[in-house]
Amino acid sequence: MKNTSIILAFVLCANFTYSQKLKGSDTVLPLAQKEAESYMKANKNAKINVTGGGSGVGISALVDGTTDIAMSSRKIKLTEKMKLADAGKSFKEATIAFDALAVVVNPANKVSQLTREQMEGIFTGKIKNWKEVGGEDLQIVVYSRESSSGTYDFFKEHVMNNKNYATSVLSMPATGSIIQSISQTKGAIGYVGLAYVEKEVKALNVSFDKGKKFVGPSMATAKDKSYPIIRPLFYYYLATVEKTVRPFVDYCLSVEGQKIVETIGYVPLTK
Amino acid sequence: METTNENRISKSKDRHQKAAFFVFAVLGYFIVTILIAILSFIVIKGASVISWDFITKMPEEGMTKGGIYPAIIGTLYLVAGSMLFAFPIGVLAAIYMNEYVSDGVAKKFIRLMTNNLSGIPSIVFGLFGMALFVNKLGFGDSILAGSLTLGLLALPVVIRTTEEALKAVNDTFRHASYGLGATKWQTIRRVVLPMAFPNIITGLILSIGRVSGETAPILFTVAAYFLPKLPTSIFDQAMALPYHLYVISTSGTNIEESRPIAYGTALILIIIVLVCNLLANALRKYFNNKVKMS
Amino acid sequence: MIVGLLMLSSTITSLTVVLIVFFLFKEGVAVFEKKPVEDGYTIVINKNNKVRKLTSEEIKNIYDQKTTFWSQLGAKHDSIILFRVEDIANFYTEDQIGANFENLPSCLSSIVDSIPGIIAFFPEKYLAKNFKGKQLDIDKVSLKEFFGGEEWYPTAQPSAQLGVKPLILGTLWVSFGAILLALPLGLAAAIYMSEIADERIRRIMKPLIELLAGIPSVVYGFFGLVIIVPIIQKIFNLPVGETGLAGSIVLGIMALPTIITISEDAMRNTPREMKEASLALGASKWQTIYKIVIPYSISGISAAAILGIGRAVGETMAVLMVTGNAAVIPHSILEPMRTIPATIAAELGEAPSGGLHYKALFALGCILFVITLVINLTVEFVSSRRKGGNH
Repeated sequence: MKNTSIILAFVLCANFTYSQKLKGSDTVLPLAQKEAESYMKANKNAKINVTGGGSGVGISALVDGTTDIAMSSRKIKLTEKMKLADAGKSFKEATIAFDALAVVVNPANKVSQLTREQMEGIFTGKIKNWKEVGGEDLQIVVYSRESSSGTYDFFKEHVMNNKNYATSVLSMPATGSIIQSISQTKGAIGYVGLAYVEKEVKALNVSFDKGKKFVGPSMATAKDKSYPIIRPLFYYYLATVEKTVRPFVDYCLSVEGQKIVETIGYVPLTK
Repeated sequence: METTNENRISKSKDRHQKAAFFVFAVLGYFIVTILIAILSFIVIKGASVISWDFITKMPEEGMTKGGIYPAIIGTLYLVAGSMLFAFPIGVLAAIYMNEYVSDGVAKKFIRLMTNNLSGIPSIVFGLFGMALFVNKLGFGDSILAGSLTLGLLALPVVIRTTEEALKAVNDTFRHASYGLGATKWQTIRRVVLPMAFPNIITGLILSIGRVSGETAPILFTVAAYFLPKLPTSIFDQAMALPYHLYVISTSGTNIEESRPIAYGTALILIIIVLVCNLLANALRKYFNNKVKMS
Repeated sequence: MIVGLLMLSSTITSLTVVLIVFFLFKEGVAVFEKKPVEDGYTIVINKNNKVRKLTSEEIKNIYDQKTTFWSQLGAKHDSIILFRVEDIANFYTEDQIGANFENLPSCLSSIVDSIPGIIAFFPEKYLAKNFKGKQLDIDKVSLKEFFGGEEWYPTAQPSAQLGVKPLILGTLWVSFGAILLALPLGLAAAIYMSEIADERIRRIMKPLIELLAGIPSVVYGFFGLVIIVPIIQKIFNLPVGETGLAGSIVLGIMALPTIITISEDAMRNTPREMKEASLALGASKWQTIYKIVIPYSISGISAAAILGIGRAVGETMAVLMVTGNAAVIPHSILEPMRTIPATIAAELGEAPSGGLHYKALFALGCILFVITLVINLTVEFVSSRRKGGNH
């Protein structure tokens, strides 16, 4: 009881200055930060705090009432839904952008395309050498995001047919380190958001129809959905605070907000 | 001429000694070289971004431009908060242990606990801070929770340095004070503390250096990625330098453009730690000389 | 009053340790009260299937399609057919399931009933009242699985694998590697500073080395990733540079100040009379160092080594960036490794609070705490022996 009253006092304090809190996914973080920055430029009275920590942290903060909007790079899980239901809270979901995942290799690698089945083999550890997929005789070094990140789950579900990654996969704490490592390791392969694809790494064309058609990741192929590895990014918020957070969410969905999505390197929603 | 046996032995001894000393000197300088390599790596890459604007402006354009002002202020708040908590408790605990408790089970127990506390990895402090301050006591992610967590981390450092400072005060002063009829507390307040003061302050500065560089304990207790305004109460979140460095060097979609800011942040952090260490050393020397002269 | 206040302060310190232990272990031990399958989900099979119970490893192998026949698990020779709740669309139309999934339980029930080789994984709330299949018995996470398991897949669906052995081994390999590199270097520097170098050099060197301790670990990690990792890859001609060795080098550099400062202090505490006596007997400076100074300060040196290991074991951020974090049982220092602190820091953010993964990470925190506690107690023991020797 005492705890709830303390929390209540904090919530009141927070609402008094009308500062909204956003918390969650590190993937959504740079986007939300920039949206908040320009939203506050347009609305001088608004105050928005943005914190990372991960999708899971964001959603559990939503359950605890310590954030107004949870940013997430994955759909809310059943257990999390049940927790919200237990706490007597109903929530709303808004898709704010898409993120295309590019499969990248070292620029010196001759391989330039892979089928989904080949990628499954590589990431589950069945395919161990580049010569098995048409490259030179070189050991494959697989980089992945941390097992708890939304990106890891998404890739597993959509590319690896839900099988587990090989234990020998190197997991990196952040996309920045994956790029750094792939650019300095010749046999490396990994996946990063489209926004991160730079000169230091080479993005592969992928095929999800057993090699009939290969598509490379780009803003254009992601927009027309011909590129297959693409996922939505979400905001979750409680129905009870809809009035306070809705203006900001609407801003993110507006033409102006979606422009920011593209400058950050994510894929805007298309109607 | 005959060379005596002894002479030969001493010559070979000499050669051994020279070789060994040479190796030690090389290794010693090797370490210093590593240090200088790391430092210059950061300084060369970071110096170009440091300007007055860099330390007094808010971040802009998704952290690729602007300054790190809120992170500096956040770190100052956290340092102040943790010291407000750890310094008095630490000093009092050290006084109690050094002046009041005679050797015994109680003292051994407290000593053991303090030593254990100083050995606990900082990530474990982070876990604990999250479980107790953030969730159980309901402080949420806040300066309060972060300061308390960092304070716990600094506590053993403060206790140890204070105890050493107290031990350095010669017992004759205490006896003299008692001889003049002073009570125990008067002796501590008027004689022991003033004499130990410089060393206690040195300890304080050293723990400030330690606290300002910690990432793991604030990761889950206070750190915010982006705040539009400076925090206004202890229940607000804050940005902090080490966390800022960690996030901008690992996330954000525009790594190349934010990299200079990362180096700049690292440099500012090192400067803070460096200043703390130099200040502590200078104080130690200054007061030591003073004590010697008096 | 004052005494009370003073006593309170030291009580707080002691209390903190107790509190930390309490919270850490309360959350950590709870992992053994959980099942490896996510809360609210169930795994079912056809009622004619003889299998009653599966370990979490067997479940993982089934879903990775490594185990493909029930006969491999001691049942009839049916091939295993995987079923996830999303697959329902292949059997029924949306109309048949109902807008609010009201018919889903009965649909699931008849699917499980009609396919003999099925194994299905779905939320428990869709389990029909008159369900025609059989729910699998799944044991709670056991101590044996936790400490003996060799695979760390804390988020695997449907059944998490919580083997911490690779993590514990990774932590120990990296830490001992660090100490093997740092101890000789650190000792050499300490001997040089305390016995050989003249006072002027010592005065410059000591604060410089203390400064090494003040550089934030993130900076070390960054330095390691950009400089040390590529060098290692080149020198040893490895496919990948993020290895235990890279972690050991970075941690070694970080442990140096601790080792140097403590062992230098111990050496300087060698009574002058002893050194002078040795020199007077005709021993050279070098003989005096290794016959008198080192033996005299040996317990201080071992305390330095142990504290250095302690530092290395608990270090988080730097390791996270350079060791590659692959959770495999290490066979050589030139392989990628994953340490406990790195695992906690990287995964806690995404673990739903209170869930199996969250508790497992707290359990890792407990292991880390116990390791450092053992190290601390060893230091305590070693340094108390030194005090005893002084009398």
